[in-house]
Amino acid sequence: MSEQLTARADLELAGEPVIPASRPGLRWAMLAVGLLVALALPWFIYPPVAMDIAAWALFAISVDLLLGYTGLLSFGHAAFWGTSAYVTGLIAINAGVPFPLAVLGGALAAMALAVPIGYLSVRRTGIYFAMVTLAFAQMVYFIANQWRSLTGGENGLQGIPKSFFGIEAIETDSFYFYYAALPVILLGVLVAWRAVNSPFGQVLVAIRDNPARARALGYDVERYKIMVFVLSAGLAGLAGGVFSISHGFASLQELAWTTSGKVVLITVLGGIGTLWGGPIGAGLVVVLEDRLASSGFNGVGIITGAIFIVIVLAFRHGIWGTARNGVAAWMRRRRSGAGGS
Amino acid sequence: MHRKKTLALAATAVSGSLVLAACGGGGPSASGGKISDGKVVLGLLNDQSGVYKDLSGPNSKVAIQMAIDDYKAKYGDKAVAKDIEIVTADHQNKPDIANTKAQEMYDRDKADIILDVPTSSAALAVANQAKAKKKLFIDIGAGTTALTGKSCNKYTFHWAYDTYMLAHGTGGVVVKNGGKKWSIVYPDYAFGQDMNKSFTAAVQQAGGTIQQSIPTPFPNDNFATYITKAQSTNPDVIGIMAAGGDLINFVKQFNQAGLQGKTDLAVGLMFITDIHSLGVDQFQGTKFTDAWYWNFDDQNRAWADKFKEKTGTRPSFAHAGNYSAALQYLEAVQRAGTDDADAVVKQLEGKKINDVFLRNGEIRAADHSVLHDAYLVQVKNKSEVKEDWDYEKVLETIPAQEAFGPVSGDCKM
Repeated sequence: MSEQLTARADLELAGEPVIPASRPGLRWAMLAVGLLVALALPWFIYPPVAMDIAAWALFAISVDLLLGYTGLLSFGHAAFWGTSAYVTGLIAINAGVPFPLAVLGGALAAMALAVPIGYLSVRRTGIYFAMVTLAFAQMVYFIANQWRSLTGGENGLQGIPKSFFGIEAIETDSFYFYYAALPVILLGVLVAWRAVNSPFGQVLVAIRDNPARARALGYDVERYKIMVFVLSAGLAGLAGGVFSISHGFASLQELAWTTSGKVVLITVLGGIGTLWGGPIGAGLVVVLEDRLASSGFNGVGIITGAIFIVIVLAFRHGIWGTARNGVAAWMRRRRSGAGGS
Repeated sequence: MHRKKTLALAATAVSGSLVLAACGGGGPSASGGKISDGKVVLGLLNDQSGVYKDLSGPNSKVAIQMAIDDYKAKYGDKAVAKDIEIVTADHQNKPDIANTKAQEMYDRDKADIILDVPTSSAALAVANQAKAKKKLFIDIGAGTTALTGKSCNKYTFHWAYDTYMLAHGTGGVVVKNGGKKWSIVYPDYAFGQDMNKSFTAAVQQAGGTIQQSIPTPFPNDNFATYITKAQSTNPDVIGIMAAGGDLINFVKQFNQAGLQGKTDLAVGLMFITDIHSLGVDQFQGTKFTDAWYWNFDDQNRAWADKFKEKTGTRPSFAHAGNYSAALQYLEAVQRAGTDDADAVVKQLEGKKINDVFLRNGEIRAADHSVLHDAYLVQVKNKSEVKEDWDYEKVLETIPAQEAFGPVSGDCKM
């Protein structure tokens, strides 16, 4: 696994700088298109589903921050998404504050949880890191399952309100709610984007590619890993909080290991190490699940599983990575062709 | 420089979209007719691919279609609902999918009612949607008493069974028939704890004693030590509250320990599909409470024959429950003369019903719990089984008023 990741990382480095460094305009244009798509989404997709896509997109980005940029495969990110879902729900039910505040509270709780988990798990890499994070996530799952007075056990935490300054359209209509909640998601994306396009992000990439060398250069590798782990947990928390507010409940499903698996699938499907991969993978998987659920076809898992296998075998860089590399190769060929004539 | 431009662009995009949103986002306007949108839409939301697929799943659509056919045949030209449609979705036992699909059914598919929804967390999520959208929801597949307790609302009905009924049916009647001393083994999570509490109350109320209650991890594969411990006090009955795969493991190990036939086994929650999948010889002699059994009497059997013609299999209680709920909903629409949710609720509340599923049925107005006769059954010995699915013999009919609990104080309509 880690060998593959490293091999991928080399390819990544070869391909990555082409677009951003030489074409900053293109990057801004892409951001604008992305923003436009995010804003237009509920016009084309049923609003609650659009909200799910946005939440899963940020969740996938948070995983990508670890997997793509730091080379850490967390298999327990449901712990942060789910913890925030419950905490957000409890704040919204008991305090009655506007939902962005509740979501923020949930994200902070997820970050607080990530400090000890991160502290203990970043000492390991590769499959061991994945297993340790999974173990912690399962612990959180069982605590939530047992702590019935707080979480409702397997019935879940029901009846979470969408309080928003008493504006009825937002509180009752999922279409308007989407626009109220989207800024929270975009805030998370912005944080992730700032993080990877900063010296901090450069250090992360250095740690991913050659931790020994990064340490030799004087960077405290463990501390950086904990920092990005906590940051990632906070973003997952933001996403999980929005998700639970949007659905009006938090359930054990949010903490289950299948949720951790699904977000890794989404991230890999979209393409890791790009930030764009997460939203694309989320769009694909969530829409697919939604469509297949009403199609009368009895094997949703077979389809998503098959797509995953095809993508991993045939398009190792995920959808976004493959598309970007294709475009980059095409541009390079065109440029060298123009230079030759 | 670039950043400024982008910010300006983004601001334009945001404000533009918001203006568009404000203009075009108006909800669908209600049509003036008696039947909204000109047709009645029944939404079937259940597990079509996972563990409850056989219990309810796609065959419940056949059952609902049978209800529609019977309704049309009965009223012909006088039918208020002329155009009736079924929409289905697979919630995969995940509450978030159930939640989104329920919204979609009510909003986009214009469903007037959602039926079935097994898995408690999913059912509770749909109940909240029904309340928010002011449309009907009749739950058949889920067992939680919270549907008629803390989460009860005007638009939600609980049709077939709940954990109180299971506990008091099995616990109470088995004690009455001589099974006085009990050991209970239960999985240590919400469902198991509730079942343990309900069974303990039911057994003690009937004059029995609980010698020990043994919690097990959940999920769990190896029950050997718990079985030995449960047997150590020589109980008349061992009650097992596990469900699904855990139940199947427990029963296998119970039999391997040589206890089959020596100590009575009472199961908290079991479906006829469990017997079918594990084999009747593994379960023979086991007692449990069923909401309905296809081979109970001629009326049930006649309906089950019709069902078998269409599906090739015998119906579970959930299939009959879906039929009954759909039929009674359509009858209520007929009486109300409209599919307006409030009018239909008024027709359903307090209604006394006898149909193929509900015997001595009554829709209790106070909490929308549907009371009806339940059955304490015993799994037949293999030699007694005459045909496929002929697995149960009914030991006792539990009268409707005794089968279900009193109105919960938590329920505020």
